[in-house]
Amino acid sequence: MIRIEHLKKTYPNVTPLKDVSVEIHDGDVISVIGPSGTGKSTLLRCINQLEKPTEGRIWLDDLEITDPKTDINKVRQKMGMVFQSFNLFEHKTVIENIMLAPVDLLGKSKQEAYDTGMRLLKTVGLGEKALNYPDQLSGGQKQRVAIARTLAMDPEVILLDEPTSALDPTMVGEVQAAIRDLAKTGKTMLIVTHEMHFAKTICNRVFYMDDGMIYEDGSPEQVFDNPRGEKTRRFVRRLKVLELNIKSAGYDFLGMVGDIADYCSKNQIAPKLTNHIQLVFEEVTRILMSALKDPHIHAACEYSEQTEVAECSICYNGSHLDITSYDDDLVLSILKGVTENFSYTWNEGSDYPNQLKLTLR
Amino acid sequence: MKNRLLKNVILFFILTAVLVSGLAVSKQALIYTSAAQKKGGEDQNYYFHSLSDLNGKRIGVQTGTSFDVSVREKLPEAKLEYFNGKADLMAALSGNKIDAFVVDEVVAEIFLRESNQVTYLSEFLDSYDFAPIFARTKEGEKLRDEFNDFLEQLPEGTLDQLADKWFSEDESEKTMPDISELNNENGTLRLATESGYAPFEYVRNGKVVGYDMEIAAMFCEYGGYGLEIVDMNFDGILPAVQTGKCDFAAAGISIIPERAESVLFSEPNFSGGTVMVIRTENAGENSSVGTGDTDNAMTDSGAAAEEAKKDASLWDNVRESFDKTFIRENRWRLFEKGILTTLVITLLSVLFGTAFGFCIFMMCRNGNPIANIVTRFFMWLVQGMPMVVLLMILYYIIFGSVAVNGVIVAVVGFTLTFGTSVFGLLKIGVGAVGIGQYEAAYALGYSNRQTFYKIILPQAMPHVLPSYSGEIVNLIKSTAIVGYIAVQDLTKIGDIVRSRTYEAFFPLIAITIIYFLLEALAGFLVGRISINFNPKRRKESEILKGITHR
Repeated sequence: MIRIEHLKKTYPNVTPLKDVSVEIHDGDVISVIGPSGTGKSTLLRCINQLEKPTEGRIWLDDLEITDPKTDINKVRQKMGMVFQSFNLFEHKTVIENIMLAPVDLLGKSKQEAYDTGMRLLKTVGLGEKALNYPDQLSGGQKQRVAIARTLAMDPEVILLDEPTSALDPTMVGEVQAAIRDLAKTGKTMLIVTHEMHFAKTICNRVFYMDDGMIYEDGSPEQVFDNPRGEKTRRFVRRLKVLELNIKSAGYDFLGMVGDIADYCSKNQIAPKLTNHIQLVFEEVTRILMSALKDPHIHAACEYSEQTEVAECSICYNGSHLDITSYDDDLVLSILKGVTENFSYTWNEGSDYPNQLKLTLR
Repeated sequence: MKNRLLKNVILFFILTAVLVSGLAVSKQALIYTSAAQKKGGEDQNYYFHSLSDLNGKRIGVQTGTSFDVSVREKLPEAKLEYFNGKADLMAALSGNKIDAFVVDEVVAEIFLRESNQVTYLSEFLDSYDFAPIFARTKEGEKLRDEFNDFLEQLPEGTLDQLADKWFSEDESEKTMPDISELNNENGTLRLATESGYAPFEYVRNGKVVGYDMEIAAMFCEYGGYGLEIVDMNFDGILPAVQTGKCDFAAAGISIIPERAESVLFSEPNFSGGTVMVIRTENAGENSSVGTGDTDNAMTDSGAAAEEAKKDASLWDNVRESFDKTFIRENRWRLFEKGILTTLVITLLSVLFGTAFGFCIFMMCRNGNPIANIVTRFFMWLVQGMPMVVLLMILYYIIFGSVAVNGVIVAVVGFTLTFGTSVFGLLKIGVGAVGIGQYEAAYALGYSNRQTFYKIILPQAMPHVLPSYSGEIVNLIKSTAIVGYIAVQDLTKIGDIVRSRTYEAFFPLIAITIIYFLLEALAGFLVGRISINFNPKRRKESEILKGITHR
């Protein structure tokens, strides 16, 4: 069991980890997901002390890892790590890479280490490469050797830091297969990954990290299918979000048009859909600006890369005002023509009680 | 592997052959050019009849002598050029780099005997007295007074007899007492000298002999001292006496007031005058030139020899030079000693320097701020200082008060510089190993120390070794300056032989070839090491040693 309390890591310019407290149970296979720069790798590296935490404490079972008196080298022997960039020892053959640590650190005989090494190499499908040097292997093969090297120490915990990110797409599969086999062995694992489908199928628990914290911690079904947090939902659905806040009549509408154009081109939204999104925002806000006395509008557009659908939501203040009922308006009929769904709801008590929802495809 | 070695050896011999023939040809060319100049000189009536004709000409003097002062006084227009030894002066004169150079008349006589291409104007540039020098200390003064007493009690005419003996032509007459048999009941005196100054002091059969040396030996016999002769560059003599490295010095040192400010002179043991050595072709018929008593016959035979030399083939020239440089007086023994000294200095400096550089690297490796600051300062100091200055400081100041062999000081000096180079190389080599290698090792549970020795260093070695072998070659070359601290290395031996034979180039070529051979040897050895250090060259059986495959 790993227990983390108020873990914080700051660098002079950035704070990748703000405050993380979590318990990891034996046998947990945890996918750590989240946008880049939100502290996923830092969390892993703090657990085996490759990074010294600024604050907070970590326990492995009853041993406090963060205690300066703890022999961290002994702890690390029980905590394997697989790196994004493999980090095989370039001056050693594949089999030596695997044998080295068990012989040097666990006091195993060379023969014993060799036998274990060869068995592990065969399980990752590289029995024939035992006497090759790392620079003679492909990226996928290197990573599989790295996994075997980690396993040779028979660790209790395995930390995998983006194990497939540096690989050619054609090689991702072979490494994922090796990790999948590993996950079945019952070892505690933490995998930082960007491969959502892989994360979902391999683990029994997911950490969604955002802004230096574990924003959502749950089962894969929960996090991927019914995310509780807004940020989680946007991340797992790979939604690209544009948010606009209009707070007065003097809002820069020309600027808004530019923002929308930037957003669409950045997310490679089809030209037709781009035109429709721009049309919706311009026309709806124009209608609202003339209808509202003191306009406060919050508009958002979520574009899903997977379905290529844009969901627009426009909320505004004032009393009940359903513009979808203006059925004689020409502009409205055009809007209804380009949208798949155009609906109005009233949310009593909210700052922006009026809500329009538009679905564009 | 065998093939590559063979190829290297062949390539090396080809290079050597090209070098030798190139230098031999250039020597030949030099002889012809000087012959051509001779003609041209006659056409232009380019004669020096007296000293004043030399005003405005290029005059060579030996660095460290006081002759430049006399030249400036007598010939204010002259352009002074400084050289390190007599052999260089001769080479410069025959190569038309200078028009004349200044030496003592006695020495000039020797030149005349050796070569008919030069002569000298018999008019004295300056007259002077020679005397041994002593330190300006109580002990120095006591020894000086004792020396003066010794001169006083010599029977009338003893010095003249000595002079006649050493300045004569017959080398076999010039006997020298065996200084190793001196009775050293009152201790042993260290005598500083510069052996490139025949007939006052020069090397014969591997021993320093000469007029000054015999007087010194007689003095030691008189005072009950043993005698140790320390041969060094002329520049080094004054500091050696001042710092007490040597008890006294005799090296044809003329008494001038400025020197007398820093050291004590005894009563003069020789009086003479300096003259201008010029090329024979510039000596007009009316010139009053020195001839020496027995020189006419010599010069004739010399001229004949010279004629013969011109007709002789290139091969004969080389053979004669070889004979003069190596065979005569068993001079190869000197070279043998010089090579040994150079090798010892190089080997020990490489060993200690490597260990030293490695140690400071290990201290600085984990970013210890104090170690880093000290090291940076030290590197700045050692690397920024000219090697000669570093050696001089070590020899005369740091080890000034202890009687320590120059070889040891040289080893200390080169250990310091080689150590800083090794430190730099390690920094680069270790820096070339990626951070990922450290992280992987740490993550497996290796300690900082284990990581360095097991994972990082083996990977850094292939980056380091090629430059390391270059640094050794550099070191071998830079040991050539140890002559400054009285060490007779290969280069110094070359100088000593040059100052005897007045062969300007052959000894230089010879030592160059020897240096090349030593460097090739060093390169070969380091090459073997880098093969052993290259982990990727291991055989399968080596990798799987002690393992049976099931």
